[in-house]
Formats: sequence, C-alpha cells, structure tokens
Amino acid sequence: MSDEEHHFESKADAGASKTYPQQAGTIRKNGYIVIKGRPCKVVEVSTSKTGKHGHAKCHFVAIDIFTSKKLEDIVPSSHNCDVPHVNRTDYQLIDISEDGFVSLLTDSGDTKDDLKLPTDESLLKQIKEGFADGKDLVVSVMSAMGEEQICALKDIGPK
Amino acid sequence: MQGFSDGGADLGQLQTTMRNIEVACTSIQMHINPAAAEATILSLSQSPQPYTACRFILENSQVPNARFQAAAAIRDAAIREWSSLSTEERRSLISFCLCFVMQHASSPEGYVLAKVSSVAAQLMKRGWLDFTEAEKETFFYQVNQAILGAHGIDVQFIGVNFLESLVSEFSPSTSSAMGLPREFHEQCRTSLELNYLKMFYCWARDAALSVTNKIIEPNAVIPEVKVCTAALRLMLQILNWEFRNDTTSMKAGIDVFSAGVRHDNGSSKRSECVLVQPGPAWFDVLISSGHVSWLLGLYAALRQKFSREGYWIDCPIAVSARKLIVQLCSLTGTIFPSDNGKMQENHLLQLLSGILQWIDPPDVVSKAIEEGKSESEMLDGCRALLSIATATTPFVFDQLLKAIRPCGTLSLLSTLMCEVVKVLMTNNTDEETWSWEARDILLDTWTILLVPTDGSGGDALLPPEGKHAAANLFSMIVESELKVASASVTNDDGDSDYLQASISAMDERLSSYALIARAAIDVTIPLLTRLFSERFARLHQGRGIIDPTETLEELYSLLLITGHVLADEGEGETPLVPTAIQTHFADIAEAEKHPVVVLSGSIIRFAEQSMDPEVRATVFSPRLMEAVIWFLARWSHTYLMPLEETNCLSNDYQQHQSMNSKKALLSFFGEHNQGQVVLDIIVRISVMTLVSYPGEKDLQGLTCHHLLHTLVRRKTICYQLVSLESWRNLANAFTNEKSLFLLSSANQRSLAQTLVLSASGLRNSETANQYVKGLMAHMTTYLVELSNRSDLKSVAHQPDIIMSVSCLLERLRGAVSAAGPRRQRAMYEIGISVMNPVLHLLEVYKDESAVVYLLLKFIVDWVDGQISYLESRETAAVIDFCMRLLQLYSSHNIGKISISLSSTLLSEAKTEKYKDLRALLQLLSSLCSKDLVDFSSDSVEAAGINISQVVFFGLHIVTPLISLELLKYPKLCHDYFSLLSHILEVYPETLAQLNSEAFVHIIGTLDFGLHHQDLEVVDMCLGALKALAAYNYREICAGKTGLVSAGLGNLPEGIFSRFLRSLLQLLLFEDYSPDLVSAAADALLPLILCEQGLYQKLGNELIERQTNPALKSRLANALHSLTSSNHLSSRLDRVNYQRFRKNLNSFLVEVRGFLRTI
Repeated sequence: MSDEEHHFESKADAGASKTYPQQAGTIRKNGYIVIKGRPCKVVEVSTSKTGKHGHAKCHFVAIDIFTSKKLEDIVPSSHNCDVPHVNRTDYQLIDISEDGFVSLLTDSGDTKDDLKLPTDESLLKQIKEGFADGKDLVVSVMSAMGEEQICALKDIGPK
Repeated sequence: MQGFSDGGADLGQLQTTMRNIEVACTSIQMHINPAAAEATILSLSQSPQPYTACRFILENSQVPNARFQAAAAIRDAAIREWSSLSTEERRSLISFCLCFVMQHASSPEGYVLAKVSSVAAQLMKRGWLDFTEAEKETFFYQVNQAILGAHGIDVQFIGVNFLESLVSEFSPSTSSAMGLPREFHEQCRTSLELNYLKMFYCWARDAALSVTNKIIEPNAVIPEVKVCTAALRLMLQILNWEFRNDTTSMKAGIDVFSAGVRHDNGSSKRSECVLVQPGPAWFDVLISSGHVSWLLGLYAALRQKFSREGYWIDCPIAVSARKLIVQLCSLTGTIFPSDNGKMQENHLLQLLSGILQWIDPPDVVSKAIEEGKSESEMLDGCRALLSIATATTPFVFDQLLKAIRPCGTLSLLSTLMCEVVKVLMTNNTDEETWSWEARDILLDTWTILLVPTDGSGGDALLPPEGKHAAANLFSMIVESELKVASASVTNDDGDSDYLQASISAMDERLSSYALIARAAIDVTIPLLTRLFSERFARLHQGRGIIDPTETLEELYSLLLITGHVLADEGEGETPLVPTAIQTHFADIAEAEKHPVVVLSGSIIRFAEQSMDPEVRATVFSPRLMEAVIWFLARWSHTYLMPLEETNCLSNDYQQHQSMNSKKALLSFFGEHNQGQVVLDIIVRISVMTLVSYPGEKDLQGLTCHHLLHTLVRRKTICYQLVSLESWRNLANAFTNEKSLFLLSSANQRSLAQTLVLSASGLRNSETANQYVKGLMAHMTTYLVELSNRSDLKSVAHQPDIIMSVSCLLERLRGAVSAAGPRRQRAMYEIGISVMNPVLHLLEVYKDESAVVYLLLKFIVDWVDGQISYLESRETAAVIDFCMRLLQLYSSHNIGKISISLSSTLLSEAKTEKYKDLRALLQLLSSLCSKDLVDFSSDSVEAAGINISQVVFFGLHIVTPLISLELLKYPKLCHDYFSLLSHILEVYPETLAQLNSEAFVHIIGTLDFGLHHQDLEVVDMCLGALKALAAYNYREICAGKTGLVSAGLGNLPEGIFSRFLRSLLQLLLFEDYSPDLVSAAADALLPLILCEQGLYQKLGNELIERQTNPALKSRLANALHSLTSSNHLSSRLDRVNYQRFRKNLNSFLVEVRGFLRTI
C-alpha cells in the first residue's frame, strides 16, 4: 500500500487515522493487525527466540477481515506493528436491489446505498433469505482502512 | 435371523448357516460389502441360542475366521442369556470349548485357539459364583492333566494358555465387561486369589520343570521351549497379580482400610513402586523349594546357548525368564518370616549374584552394547536393581553385595550409572538411545534409595562409602549436563517449544540429581560454588572478545541444578531448608563462611550485575535472565526471611554444635540480618526485567507469576516489602509508567494481584484499604472519564483506546481476584464506581468480543469475591446490576449471525460466544452461593430478595443463548448442567414460575443431558430429575397440584411421563456405564410414584411385546419384583431409595440381556 493511499480518508471514518502503531508483544489473539497492507484479525500468536540467547519474536497468523485470506508475519516482539482502526456501524436493512446493492437506514434517518452485497453465494443466501422471510434485520458494517463490508446480521423481531 | 438359532436344526440348515458365515468372513477380508457381512455375523451372535450352529461351524468350517466368529458368538450369546440357561447347558458350553482347544491343540491357527480358550475363561468366570466346587474341580482336573503333559506338548501349551486367559479374566484391570456390578468381579477376584492362584503357579512351575532338562541339553531349539516360555509367562502374570488377601486382612473382601495396609514398614512410603506381596502361604513355593536357583540356573544355561542357533538374548524364553527374575526381586511382605529380614536378604543376594553378570563390570558391558550387543539384558539388570532398592532400605541394599564382593552395591550402582552417563555424553543425540533408558531406570533407583522414607523428613543416611559413590556420580552428572548444555548452543534451530518446556520437563530429572547431591552435600555444594565462579570469571575475562553463548548456556544449566539442590519446590506449602543442608556443616560457626551462604551469595551478586545496562546487554540474555529469576524465586521461598523455627528443634538428635550452624544459616537471610538487603536487590531486579526487557513475555511471566507471587505469599516478607523504597517505585511505575502497560494480559493481571496482596503487610485494614484505593484509582478514573466522553462512540474503537481499556480491565480483574476480608471495602467501592461505565462499555464494544469477554470476566471475579460479604442493600444493588448486564448482553447477541467467508473466523466467533456464556453461568453460580455462604449481618430476605428467583430469572435470560450446538463444548456443558441441577435440586418450586418457552427449553436441555456421553453430566441430570420428581410427588401427596399443572398446559404430556419413558428406554435398551445405575434408580423411583398409571401401561406393553412365553413370564416376574421385593414402600426416604437401587440392579441383570436384542 502506498503512502498516498495511506492519507486517503474514507467517508466511513472521516477524521480518524487509519492505523496506529502498537508493540508487537502486546498484540493478542483476536486482536487486529496490518500485514502486507491488509487489515487482519489475529488467530494465532506464538513467540520464539532468535537463537538460544537472543530476543523474543512474535509469529502472527492472521486472517484478512475482508477477503478471509490467511496471512503470516514474524516481528521482533519489542518492535511496533500497525494496528488498523476497525469500526462497526449498525444499519437497518431497507431493501436489496437487483444489481447487488443494499439500501440501509442510518441513525440520522438518511439512506446509505453504496454498499454491495457479498459476492459469496452462501453469505448472500443468508442475507437474502432473512430479508425474504420478512424479518426486521439489522446489519453490522465493518470498516477499516477505507474498505467496508457487511459482517453480521441480527434479527430484531418480526415486522 | 431366526435361521441361525437352534430350533429344530437339521444338517442342511446348519450347513447353510455355516456357508453364510464363511462367505461373510471372506468378504470382510476381501473388503466386499463389509457392512452386510458384519450384519450377517452380528445376527449370528444376536440370535437366541445359536450354540448348535456355532459348534457346527467350529467343528466343520475350513475357514479359520468363521471359526473365530463362531467362538465370539458363543461368548456374546451365552453372556447375554446366561441367567436363562440351565446348569447343564452352561457346563456343556464350557467343556465344549475346553475340549475343542485340547483336541485341536496342534492346529496352526493359534488365534482361533486363543479366542476359544478366552471364551471358556469368560464363561467360567460368569458362572464362577454359581458352580459348585465339584464342578470346578472337574474342569480343572482336565486342565491339570493337560498341563502335566499327559497329552503331548501342544496340549500342554494350550493348558497353560488357558490358565493365562483365566487369570487375566479374573484380574480386575484386564477383565472383560459382563454387564454385572463391580461386586461380582471383586468376589471372583478374591475367590481365585485365595483358592486357586497358588495352585496355578505350581502347575506352571511343574510344567516348566518337566521340560527344563531337555532345554538345557546342548541341542538346537526343541518344541518344549514353547511350553516353558508360556509357563514362565504365566508365572510372571501371577506374580503381577495385585495380592490383597494377606492373612491379616483375610476377612475383608473390599475393606478399603485393610486393602492399603503394607506389612513391611520400610517400604510403606514407596507406594508408587509395585511390590509383590503374596503373603505367607506362598513361602513354600517361592522361597523354600529352590525355585529361585532353578530359575537362575535355567537362565544361565540359556545364556551359554546365546551364541548358538535358535537362541539369542531377546528370544522369547530368555525375555520371559529375565522378567520373572526381576519380578522376584520385588518380593516382600509377610511371605518372609519375621527374622529381621534375614531370609529376604538371602533371597535377594541369591538373585543379585545371578543378575550381576548382566551388568558387571559396567565398562565392559557398556562397551559390548556400543559395539552392537543387545541392551535388553543390561536394562533388565538395571530394573532388577530398581526392584531390589524398592524392597529394601539403603543400608541393606548396600550390604547385599558386600557379602560376595569387597565393595557395596551403592558403589556398583554409582559406577554403573557413571558409565551410562559417559555414554550419554559421548553420543549426544536427540534420539532415545539405550543409555537414556538406562539412565532413567538408574535415576529412579537412586530416588527410591534416597527419598526420605519416614514422616520426620530425615534424609536417608548413607554409609560413608555410599556418600563417596554419590559424590562421584554427582560430579559426573554435572560434567555431562554442562557438556550437553554447551554443545546444544550450536545445534539450536529456534525450537520454541523446547525452550518453554525445558524447566518443567527437566524438573523430575533435576530433583533426582538433587537427591544424589544432598546425599553428599559437603562435597557437592563447594563443587557447585567452584563451577559457578569459574564461569563468572570466564564471562568477565572474555567480555566483548569471546562469544559468551556457551558459558551462558552452562550457567543456565547450573542455575537449574543448584536451585534444585538448595531448595524444594514446596507445592503450595512453605518448603523448609532440606534436612541434609540443615544437619551438615556442623563445624561452620560463622554464617558468612557457611558453604550454602557462600554459594547463594555468589549467585545473588552475579544476578545484581544485571542492573548495569552495559553488562546486561552483553551477558544477561533473556534466557539466562529466566534462569536467574527462576532461581531467585525458588531460593527466596526457602531461605529469605524463613519462619523462626528454633522451637521445633528440641527433638533433634544432632549435637549442639550443628544446631548453631543451622541457626546461623537460617538467620543469615532473616529479617534482622541480610534479608532486607537481599529483598531489595530482588525487587529491583524484578522491576528491571519488567521495564528493560520489552516484549520478553516468558521472562516477564516468570517474574510476575513466579518470583513476585512467591514474595507476597509470606507475611514476613510483605511487612518488609511495603516499607521498601523499591517496592513503592514498582507501585508508582505500575500506575504511571507507560512501559508497564505493555506487559501481556496475564502478566498485567498477575502484577495487579501481587501489588494488592502486598497490602497484607500493612498494619490495619484502614491503611490497607487506602493503599489499594491508591493503587487502583488510575484505573477507575480512566474508565469513568472515558465512558462519560460525548465522543465515546467514535473514539472507542481506536486501537490505542481499546488497548488501554483492555489493559485496565485486566488489572482490575487481577486486583479483585486478590480480594480478602481486609481489603473487601476498597474492592467493593472500586466495583461500584465502575458499574455504569461497565454497562456503557459493554454497549459500545458489543462487537469487540475480546473487550466484552474482559468486561464479563472482571464482573464475574468481582461478584465472586464480594457476594458473601455484602449487606442486603448492597446485595440488591449488585443483583440489579448483574441482571442489567445479562439483559444487555442478551439483547446484543440474541438472533445474531456472523457472516464471514473464513471458517476459522466463524469458529473463533463461536468459541468467543462459548467463553462469554461460560462466564455468565459462573456469575449466576456466584449469585447462587449467597444462599449458602453469607457473612453479612442481616439476611438477604430482609431486603426482599429471593436468590432463587434471581438466578432463575438470570437463567431465563441466558438459556436462549445456549444452543444445543454450544453445549458440545464440554466445559460449558459441565457448567450449565451443574448450575441447572443445583438450582433444580435446591429450588424445584421456582421452576413452575418460568414461562412455558423457557420451561420447554430447560426440559429440552435436561433430556439432551440424559443422553450425553459424559458420565458426570448424566449423573447431574439424573440428580436434577430426582429432585424435581420427588418434589412433585411430595406436593401431590400433600394434596397440592404439583408441577404438572403450573402453566404448562401446552405440553403434549406431562414432563414426568416424558422422562419416565425416556429413562426406561435408556435403562433397558441403550448403552451406559454400570456406575450410573444407582443414580438412575434414585430418579426412577419418584418418577414411577408420580406416574404410576403410565408405569403400569409401559410395563404391560413391554410384556406384550415378548413373543416367547418363557421370557414373557420372566419379564412379568422381574417387573413385579422391581416394585415389590425388599419391602419397597411408596415413601421417599433413604432406606427406600436404597432398597430400590438393589431392586433395579437385580432387575437389570435379569432382563436386560434378552430385552436388548429384540
């Protein structure tokens, strides 16, 4: 990811910095980390030493929160890593359009129409089925480093 | 299926059956349609009375597998139908099996014979308590004839083999399940031990004796070897029997007290070693009949033949003979007459002189093995030494060899082990070689000899020569460990598992080393001091010039060894200075010159150098620092400000002088001497590791969990700590310094706990509360301020804020886990002040599972620590808060579906949910405990709180979140059912107040739990069921409506009818452990009483379904006696429950066999 992109601020988290430095040793399982420019969730941390009497290093296995790709990184545990600022916002689902976009109701009463449905069939099915059943659905939208995606679905009762 | 049973079997039918089974067996082997084939075979064993068909197959089939399956079918069918077979039928089945094996003794398919013989053994056991002595006599006569060799060698072998299966069948650990209660197996065991075991041993011995001469003759292998090997194996098996009926405890079959009594005082503490104690009745067989010399003679003759064809060191007969010899070394107890052990010594000496050639001279033996000789004889020799050590005292052990050699056994042991260590040193590989195994066996031998045997803690005293041997061995061991250490530096490839596990993995070996070192403590302590100073000097001279890694690794090993030699682990208790160290060094008057002080001092001074940044960078690698911290923790637990114990020394047998030296050692690091200085150094080193080794989790973990925890565990140290400048610095750094916020979460928690615990060093509870508040203020203020921020929503998800919040929550959690009566007030106020912030944060971080979990865990720990102290008003506030928390959590999570492509992330999400729920259940359990443990001045009822309602309401909120899917997590499942069964047992009446949806859910999970595979879960569910049904029955008896009508109208049938059905179904037709029968009986009785009409109906249905009239009447009788025998009444008291348990047991034995196959 280039510097230029780094300064770009998305609409979702305007005014906030996209990543923060944090010491590698303090990043835990289930925390977030940037690996190869991608925001990831850590699923495994292990520590080892460089040589028998060397210093500790952390080995991270993490999953890209948007693409679900597995990424790994090794960092000396006293060095800093980038940690992405991950935000989640809840919206009420108003409509699903034919062209794969969703229509969401924001807190302020506006609609947000720029979010695409996931492309994966099974995820799509879960959302579409829930919506078709006439349930009142709230979707959680996760945003980080300028990308956003629906990450959870909640049924708040029948219409 | 019916085709396989005997009903009017004619030849044609039998042949068809045989062909079917043969085809099935062949197709399983060829892997053609195995499911169908298995079904065919299964139907044979499940059909009623398949015996004629099975016999026919055994006698006529050409397919060995078919014969094997037929034997198995006889076993299954006979065990199942046993109670309905006539005595004649039972007898004929057994004698058929016996005759079959004898007749086919020369058959090449050994496995078929072994199977038939084990079937005979199992059937004989099944009928053991029913057969008369005369009947057993007939069977055994046949076996004895065979073993005597009257029908040839093959039959002789078969006879021995049968006894082997029989003995293993009767030994509880190897017996096969028969669906009978434990008592049955226990009675069989006792009967065999008392009446037959010795006889079998004699038969085996005679069989072996009868062929010995032929084997010793200088021929090549002869068939008799097979018989002799089997006989030796049988003898070994019998000596492995767990003898219980020593004459003194003859009357008690399952008396737990007498079963554990050992008659040899010297060995009573060494329970971990297997001793053979057959009792005085065995004297003639094992001791006075020349048995041992015969066996040694036989093995010596075999040894002569090893070079020749057909015999080698690992051939079966040699292996069996050696094992039997080793086993005889463990012989002890009342078999030897009470003559001060003379007889036992002679016995052991005889064995030892036979064994000596296997291990002596050690250098020659080890050289031969390195050149390719098999090591098994040498290893067996080591095992024999271990057995002898187990059966004797160190003194006797040493004396044994002196009878025939100039030096004692200890010297031999020492030389032998030195030899082994030398081999280990020269070929240092990671592979398990013979020298590893030999070292472990020999180390065990030393441990057995040196571990204190009596309660007084006195270390075993060795004769001077033995001390010398121990000293030699220890220096050899240290030399080898150091060599291994410095060599390991080069072949390092960053194996992190090894690094982390090294300390604990080596622990056992190191404590054996420590025992050896303490046996010669006057030599070994100065040795260690010298080794340390050599290495310190080397480090200083070579600083910046030579790569210090090898020396660092050597120091690492030395620190571990020294830590073990100087101090014991303690295992939660305060360890004393080891007796060897207390009692030796009598001639040292000045404390500064006490060797232990000198050694400790030099290590502490070395550790102190780590405070210098320059030295730290070059010398104190994280790994070395780990060893230093570990050593300091272990050392200070024993030596730093020890409890004054001069009072309890009065009965010490040592002279006055040694008392002085001991006192000097104990007081040197005491409060009024060097203690404070050393404590200050230790605290400063600890702070340094936390601040100056960023990211070294292991090191910091050792500091927090091990060293600092050890310090605050003792009051004397706490008094000093709170007045130390360095400790105050630590507390300041904890609240202000950024670097301490970087510790890992567990260390964070532990540090907070430690700091709070040190408050016990303060004089009164007011200052203690003040101190705790001071420590915690920064956390509560931060959380309160954060939660009041108007832009909370937007800033909360910034990574730095998340990190601070998590860190503070960890600290809070650590602090509240250190709650104690003196600090309770402060803790309560801390909790109250963050109640609202916690709810705010739970709202904001609802999608940040890691933070949610921390919040929940903090509240769980806080409530758990507080609940029993709270006054009723406070309780009300806390309960109200907990309910709000539960509701909030539930509203966030109910109906939520995570969407992700990644299966890892999805399963992570599930695990997180499971952990949350488990925390919530723990919260409810803590609330529940208020009813049981309450230290407050007024009762909770005063404030109008009904704990049961609260907990049920909580459960009501939580249960919808607990899906059957989540109950697959064993811990959650366990917690859920223990809470559920507790509530149902204590407050059954509240169940009725739940709405029908929650009620159905709870009943559903109960049903799920009944069919769970975890015994404990089923047991808890049965307990809950018992409580519910008993409550209901009592209500009905009292003329009330009970649980049934209470708003549960929408259930198709009452819950009790439903559970009666499913419990009966479970008991009669499904698989379960016999241990559950009692609990099931306790639940079944009240259920039957509640639903008598349904029970009658179900019973009648069962009877109607039986087509066979004989079985029909048996079932009817059994059902009748289930509820009427033993004077069963319709009351629910203890006596009645007991009677019903008995009834149910016999009912199940009677009918389950034939019911299950229908």
